Amino acid sequence: MNNPITMLGDGFAHVLQGGAVFHAFWAVLIGIVVGALPGLTATMGVALLTTLTFTMGPNVAMLVLVCVYVGAIYGGSRSAILLNIPGTPASAASTLDGFPLAKQGLAGRAMGISTLGSWCGTLFGTLILAMFAPSFGEFALQFGSYEMFWVALFGIVIAGSLSGGDPLKGYIAGFLGLLVATVGQETNHAYARFAFGNADLAGGLGLLPVLVGVFGVAEVLNAMRGPAVKAVSSKIDSVIPRIRDVTQYWRTIFRSGALGTFIGAMPGLGEDIAAWTSYAAAKRASKEKELFGKGSVEGLMAAETGESACVPGAIIPVLTLAVPGSAPAAVLMAAMMIHGLNPGPMLAITAPEFIYQIVAMLVIADMVKLLYGLVLVKPLLWVLLIPRARLMPVVFVLCTVGAFAITSRLFDIWVMLGAGLVGFILRELRFPMAPLVLGIVLGDLLDKNLLRGLVLTGGDVSPFFTRPISMALCALTLLAVAWAIPGFVPRVMGLIRRRAAA
Amino acid sequence: MSGGSDQAPLSPRADLYVAAVLLALGLGVMALAWRMPTFVEQSGTGLTAPGIVPGFHATVVAVLAVLLGLRAIRQGALKAGTQRAGGGGGADAWRLAIAATLGVLYAGVLVGRLPFWLATALFVFSFTAAFEWSVGPARRVRRLAEAALLGLATGGIVTLVFERIFLVRLP
Repeated sequence: MNNPITMLGDGFAHVLQGGAVFHAFWAVLIGIVVGALPGLTATMGVALLTTLTFTMGPNVAMLVLVCVYVGAIYGGSRSAILLNIPGTPASAASTLDGFPLAKQGLAGRAMGISTLGSWCGTLFGTLILAMFAPSFGEFALQFGSYEMFWVALFGIVIAGSLSGGDPLKGYIAGFLGLLVATVGQETNHAYARFAFGNADLAGGLGLLPVLVGVFGVAEVLNAMRGPAVKAVSSKIDSVIPRIRDVTQYWRTIFRSGALGTFIGAMPGLGEDIAAWTSYAAAKRASKEKELFGKGSVEGLMAAETGESACVPGAIIPVLTLAVPGSAPAAVLMAAMMIHGLNPGPMLAITAPEFIYQIVAMLVIADMVKLLYGLVLVKPLLWVLLIPRARLMPVVFVLCTVGAFAITSRLFDIWVMLGAGLVGFILRELRFPMAPLVLGIVLGDLLDKNLLRGLVLTGGDVSPFFTRPISMALCALTLLAVAWAIPGFVPRVMGLIRRRAAA
Repeated sequence: MSGGSDQAPLSPRADLYVAAVLLALGLGVMALAWRMPTFVEQSGTGLTAPGIVPGFHATVVAVLAVLLGLRAIRQGALKAGTQRAGGGGGADAWRLAIAATLGVLYAGVLVGRLPFWLATALFVFSFTAAFEWSVGPARRVRRLAEAALLGLATGGIVTLVFERIFLVRLP
């Protein structure tokens, strides 16, 4: 039973029963459409679809959500190539070479490269997940309250440092998220924090309504404010990928796959960072640097492989530490909890087979994505032309249903509206959303483990700094903060060089 | 995860105002956390006091707000003539106001008071009609009719799919 190959086979057998292929087909399609439409993100897609999965069994629900996630990240490249507008933030790097290719009359070829890169990326990341998640899960069993506290804090800090923009604002956003997570009854004494006598507030702010607000309502407001989307190129050449693109750029595919998966596994970074990093690494190593930004096949391949490899990568810390690697993975984790699947270190003991079932789901989603990538070209062009004045109210309706459905409280709709407006204002004030979401998701983990650690030691904080893994995580967290301080790295490098010279 | 790096940075003065609001928030939450009961008699140590964690977070927010404020001042927030960067034009603000008002009216007022399909149909129709009105008088009646049809279809289909097929309770 503990043989990984047998467990992987069992995982496929388990997932493929009960009409799984049917669910995979419709869910990947919805994911691609959501990802392709500018203004609708993968996070929003997974959050909205979570509502639909309430009455499904946990396995089917997870399959649907994994398929939406995989499909949406891939779908974003369609609008990036055809409209020069990334369908999701993850596809921003794909516009650099995808759109120039489309302008040269090679939109079909660009979409073929995107399909191939994305397929290889997800497959590569899934392979890494299958190989390392079970053993990392066993390693994570050594994590106690002290280590989990640092994992949560490290997630906030690394997301704040690297999620784009201003690190200081990133940290503030992360701690604002942590503050939001403290609203409602705490676990030790059932004391209702910041409830002000309101029974609804005492129940806490639901994760899903807040996420739907931040990623759904705020996106609708943002989309309605900006200029309208320009017309799409309607001439499409062949989308069949060329084998030569794989043989010629196999190094780029491997490098981007590895980078994408690694960045995905880092708490809170996500697909857009993975795509940009893969793109930059490919440009540095390329023999055709001058083509980058002007329609480079290698550049597009790197961005697509990186962002899609990030999807399985982002699921690794969800399964092993209960810490999401990206915003959509955060919603996926919330959905796992809703369905009674408790991700985290104990998963390796209580349900090790679940890791292999997720592997099977990712592979199925990847195969369906490949199929759609080859056949679904013209219908997606049509979908991209839907005016936003007609699309966005429908999205808003789905947000409202999604926020209400989980607990059937009208209060949750108000939470969604509030989170949407606050999320929109914070975006306008240049606060990154990734640390905010991670703070909201990790708030409970940090809260419980900090207090539990203090109780276990009778108030002595030294184990937070002296236990080996704690010490390493603390050092990593401080390093991430130091890295973000302007001028810190050059000064340290200069000091090292001077010492070496002396 | 989506960053915000594609936008121009905010002006130092705007950052200073943001820092002031965040500092007030941090200090306010710190005060509330301080006033929470400590439950020393139950826990013996008071280390499980509910105010510890929010107090810690609020302290960090306040400290970071001070850093943001100091940075803004160093960048010239207090100097005369610092302009607010970015900010949409009048048309953008109008569109935003219309979208936000209609959204709040729908989710906050109509939902729960009217049957869901009707509230949805009214919202989708008003939203589409409001944003397509400015396209021009040509074919306006047709666009309004299409908006009404879209509203009714959305109300009907969402109710059918969520309530009947996926058995999800609607407001």
